[in-house]
Amino acid sequence: MIIIDIIVSVCSAALISIFIQNSIYERALGTNILLYASRERGKVIGFSLMVTYICTVSSVFVWLLDGLLADLSWAGIIRPFFYILIISAVYIVSLVLMWRFLPKAFAAVKPYVHLSVFNCSVLGGMFLNTVYSADLAAYIGFGFGTGVGFFLAGWLLYIAYGRLTSDLVPAAFRGMPVMFVYVGVLSLALYAFVGYSTTL
Amino acid sequence: MPELIQDSRATRPLDGIVRQNVVLMSGLVTGSVIAGATGFMSAVAISAVFSFVTFFAVLVSRFVPRKIVYTLRIIAYAMIAAAFYIPAKLLVDAGLGTEITDGVGVYLPILITNSVIMSKTETRFFHQSCKDMVTELIGYIAGFDIVCLVIGSVRDILTNARIGWLPADLGFTMPALETTFGGFFLVGISAGCFRAGYTRYKNAKNN
Repeated sequence: MIIIDIIVSVCSAALISIFIQNSIYERALGTNILLYASRERGKVIGFSLMVTYICTVSSVFVWLLDGLLADLSWAGIIRPFFYILIISAVYIVSLVLMWRFLPKAFAAVKPYVHLSVFNCSVLGGMFLNTVYSADLAAYIGFGFGTGVGFFLAGWLLYIAYGRLTSDLVPAAFRGMPVMFVYVGVLSLALYAFVGYSTTL
Repeated sequence: MPELIQDSRATRPLDGIVRQNVVLMSGLVTGSVIAGATGFMSAVAISAVFSFVTFFAVLVSRFVPRKIVYTLRIIAYAMIAAAFYIPAKLLVDAGLGTEITDGVGVYLPILITNSVIMSKTETRFFHQSCKDMVTELIGYIAGFDIVCLVIGSVRDILTNARIGWLPADLGFTMPALETTFGGFFLVGISAGCFRAGYTRYKNAKNN
């Protein structure tokens, strides 16, 4: 029963993170990195894997930190510093392990690994994790979901990249401006999961 | 080609405001503007934190030894920015009140990992003299602040019929503009119009 509870907790947190609190569509976190990554399929996959890995592993340490800072009234001010410490520690250890045991993979990710780790998507994901998760399983699920949500957004942008940067689009809107409008349309579609309503 | 390289490295104080604007031209720092600057006061809070953290973090990061590889040097940049976020948040809390800064939420601390600190330092600022770097940096910060405040004001008028505490009733409201998708539309369309205007001005100047 305990194992089932853990699985349910992980899955529900991951689903919230992917569809309801999607780092791109709902929160616009790491949009600039997404625009950069969506140019090539390899980069979408590479960036998404790094974001997923860092968010998932870091979520364990974020859970520990949140437990320590729970009673501090000024925790919100120092929390970003500790989050950066956690990201840095996970980043260094992971790089050293990759360099030692997976040299080919290390060489492949080295040109952009820093961009895929030190960005708003990862840091923002950690803050959202603190707000929306209750136990360790939920923290891990939410962290994993942040990366999957990033992949979903990146892939949907990648498959439209050719058209959004083509001559079909007026020169001034080609590239970044029309990509924002496109992401906005997808974001609007995902709002259906939240149940947004307007009042006149 | 050498002319082009020389041209791109030349110091232009207005570059950051127009040609290299980090929101409308390069899209480097957009998350906080799209989803955080939903009103004038929240835009003021974001601009203040961005200005303080970016200015001092870039300045101090310049002293990080370049012997260290960039893959590791970026950690120092992030740590320095995170350290400067603490006084920035305290100052903004004191100036605007915690109600405003709490409302902005996650969009203040994520400014620590903004691309001006993480990328522009390496690709541009640290190749310049200290004086040129400061001049351009102020231009980049001003470019972000202007766009953030304009976007925040437009959203405040169209969603709340006011700018900050001043009434600005147009007779209608567009509540959806406060949402993330509204932010994407507004920033995307603004970027397109800004680019079109800049290209037109440049062509007119060349002719």
